[in-house]
Amino acid sequence: MGVESVSQMPVAEGKSVQQTVELLTRKLEILGAEKQGTFCVDCETYHTAASTLGSQGQAGKLMYVMHNSEYPLSCFALFENGPCLIADTNFDVLMVKLKGFFQSAKASKIETRGTRYQYCDFLVKVGTVTMGPSARGISVEVEYGPCVVASDCWSLLLEFLQSFLGSHTPGAPAVFGNRHDSVYGPADTMVQYMELFNKIRKQQQVPVAGIR
Amino acid sequence: MSGVRAVRISIESACEKQVQEVGLDGTETYLQPLSMSQNLARLAQRIDFSQGSGSEEEEAAGAEGDTQDWAGAGSSADQDDEEGLVKFQPSLWPWDSVRNNLRSALTEMCVLYDVLSIVRDKKFMTLDPVSQDALPPKQNPQTLQLISKKKSLAGAAQILLKGAERLTKSVTENQENKLQRDFNSELLRLRQHWKLRKVGDKILGDLSYRSAGSLFPHHGTFEVIKNTDIDLDKKIPEDYCPLDVQIPSDLEGSAYIKVSIQKQAPDIGDLGTVNLFKRPLPKSKPGSPHWQTKLEAAQNVLLCKEIFAQLSREAVQIKSQIPHIVVKNQIISQPFPSLQLSISLCHSSNDKKSQKSATEKQSPEDHLYVLEHNLHLLIREFHKQTLSSIMMPHPASAPFGHKRMRLSGPQAFDKNEINSLQSSEGLLEKIIKQAKHIFLRSRTAATIDSLASRIEDPQIQAHWSNINDVYESSVKVLITSQGYEQICKSIQLQLNIGVEQIRVVHRDGRVITLSHQEQELQDFLLSQFVMDLRVAVRLWFSFPVTSVKIFQKAMFYKIANGVIFVDHSKKFSGIKWKVETLFIKWNCLCLHLALIFSRNFDLEYLQINYKHKEAITSKDVHLAFETFHFI
Repeated sequence: MGVESVSQMPVAEGKSVQQTVELLTRKLEILGAEKQGTFCVDCETYHTAASTLGSQGQAGKLMYVMHNSEYPLSCFALFENGPCLIADTNFDVLMVKLKGFFQSAKASKIETRGTRYQYCDFLVKVGTVTMGPSARGISVEVEYGPCVVASDCWSLLLEFLQSFLGSHTPGAPAVFGNRHDSVYGPADTMVQYMELFNKIRKQQQVPVAGIR
Repeated sequence: MSGVRAVRISIESACEKQVQEVGLDGTETYLQPLSMSQNLARLAQRIDFSQGSGSEEEEAAGAEGDTQDWAGAGSSADQDDEEGLVKFQPSLWPWDSVRNNLRSALTEMCVLYDVLSIVRDKKFMTLDPVSQDALPPKQNPQTLQLISKKKSLAGAAQILLKGAERLTKSVTENQENKLQRDFNSELLRLRQHWKLRKVGDKILGDLSYRSAGSLFPHHGTFEVIKNTDIDLDKKIPEDYCPLDVQIPSDLEGSAYIKVSIQKQAPDIGDLGTVNLFKRPLPKSKPGSPHWQTKLEAAQNVLLCKEIFAQLSREAVQIKSQIPHIVVKNQIISQPFPSLQLSISLCHSSNDKKSQKSATEKQSPEDHLYVLEHNLHLLIREFHKQTLSSIMMPHPASAPFGHKRMRLSGPQAFDKNEINSLQSSEGLLEKIIKQAKHIFLRSRTAATIDSLASRIEDPQIQAHWSNINDVYESSVKVLITSQGYEQICKSIQLQLNIGVEQIRVVHRDGRVITLSHQEQELQDFLLSQFVMDLRVAVRLWFSFPVTSVKIFQKAMFYKIANGVIFVDHSKKFSGIKWKVETLFIKWNCLCLHLALIFSRNFDLEYLQINYKHKEAITSKDVHLAFETFHFI
């Protein structure tokens, strides 16, 4: 358990998503990281059913149900700015039972798949974000194992990110800003992923409109 | 009396008339009191003719009260008699009983009168006195006392004999019933040790470990039967038991798991022909009945079978670099290249045939009792795990499985943590690891001992730690010179003997890992011997030098006490030693040995050379040799 930073790598000019991913992985291999299998993070969206809304006509809250292959026996459920629940995998079955209260949004499943690289204390995961059949972006997650307090190791993470991301190094994630000195947990990682997926989802809408 | 007016006193009799009935208007009807004759009749009825003379007087007094009535009663009685029929009417006539009694008295008196009159004549009847025994002479009271005592004693004896007879009867009854009752008490004793249940008219028991957590599919039921082949007439044998147990045929006899390590691998053809030796049955407790020993032996056989089944299943399923061989009742694996570990199930039945064949006993020297014991412990550990509260769900609605596994979801365990929860090692792997460790440890001990016996100077000491793990032991090795133990403390090695390698921690902090090869350890220890010498020599033989004079073949060092003359000896130069000999002209001679390569250190070689030196030089050199040897 360590501190993880999730960020997005913009697609290089004139290249496809796959090629950019290959570039990154080659860089990592040159650096000396060793491949250690694959990973997958996926997310499904649910919104509260209309029947449970009050008469004021509030907008339905969105709930995200996510899985992470790093924690194979767990399931995460989180609201946008609300709490994050870590549960057993039986939670998915529970969601089926709660069909009356939570309805899944259409075509909402978004996931990222890729390879894991281990470089000493760092674990780097480079994945392709796909929604349906199309690849929408690249996600890069870096975990520093030994530390559990975010504020202590952010500078080290930043340096490492710079070494192979170059100019595309992201800023400090919002999650770090919230609770500086508290222990970092897997829930924070999932919040980062949720924000990333939302960003990618909004991004894609622009080019579609542009094509038209 | 004078002047006081007379007071009229009215007297009323106390006995009022009895009330017969009270009318509805309040008037009372009185009973007429009895008249005189009625009263008399009432009294006469109450006469009891069977009493003595006192009542006769009363009778007479009562009768005189009214003679008229009596006469009338008597005449009426005669009239009745003449009629001949006596009708029983007690309520009508109160004088009836009186009359009857008087009549019978009259009859009696008449008879007596007749008899007496006949006897008076002495013609037809005579009176004779009744013969009586002669009274015992009253002058001998002691005899009388004796006889009376005898009689009383006889009476007491009779009572006691009666009681004794009753007791003997009950005892003999007990003896007879003992056989029947003993079965139940034996059954009760059996029940205290084993689980029994009644199925139809049979009593079955369970000697498997199923209730203790085992998953072995053997049923393990035994039957309790009544021992009826007893002849009540003959004497009951001492070890007779009315209860007998019948154990399943495949659990008969005794079994044990033989674990042995052999150096050389035998031929393939020899596999499967494990020579069993009949281990003497473990001595049962002196007070335990025979069924207890029988059942315990059967349970042991079952446990050994389970252990062997588990081991062979794992041997087949688990993939390892060198595959394990499972042949008949033996599992063979190779923990180290030249080593063979064989685990076999030795089951010897109690037949007479096998007893004869087992006379050629295999020497049990290579059987490792520790590993056999550990196997038993491990399988019991496995049993306990299936029943432990970690596995059993708390609360009852939780799913089965390890407690921490259930928490791994909500607490987001990653793969490392999940792997650490699941114990991936089976019984066979554990036993092989233990065997490896035992072998490595014994070989290390043998190496150290052989070195210690072979090399006299310096000395090697090994302090083995008493508290060890199944997979790790440690020994502290000290290499010292005799007489210089306090000074030369720098060679202290801590050897941690693990499963496959030995880790050596030097006093100065260096950590060296040695493999399981015997030679490696020996070489390493030998190198340490030399280090000791070097240190010792250095300590003793460093002198401060004031001036130096170098010549062609020798060097002169001037020190406080004199001059040290250094000569380069060619004999010792080379890969083994480079020796510089120094000698002082005055009091003492000293030697300085400079060690270049310390691999194959050979003390003997050095000594021989110095002996040679001794022969050709003066006594000063002799002293040097001794000094060196002293180190």
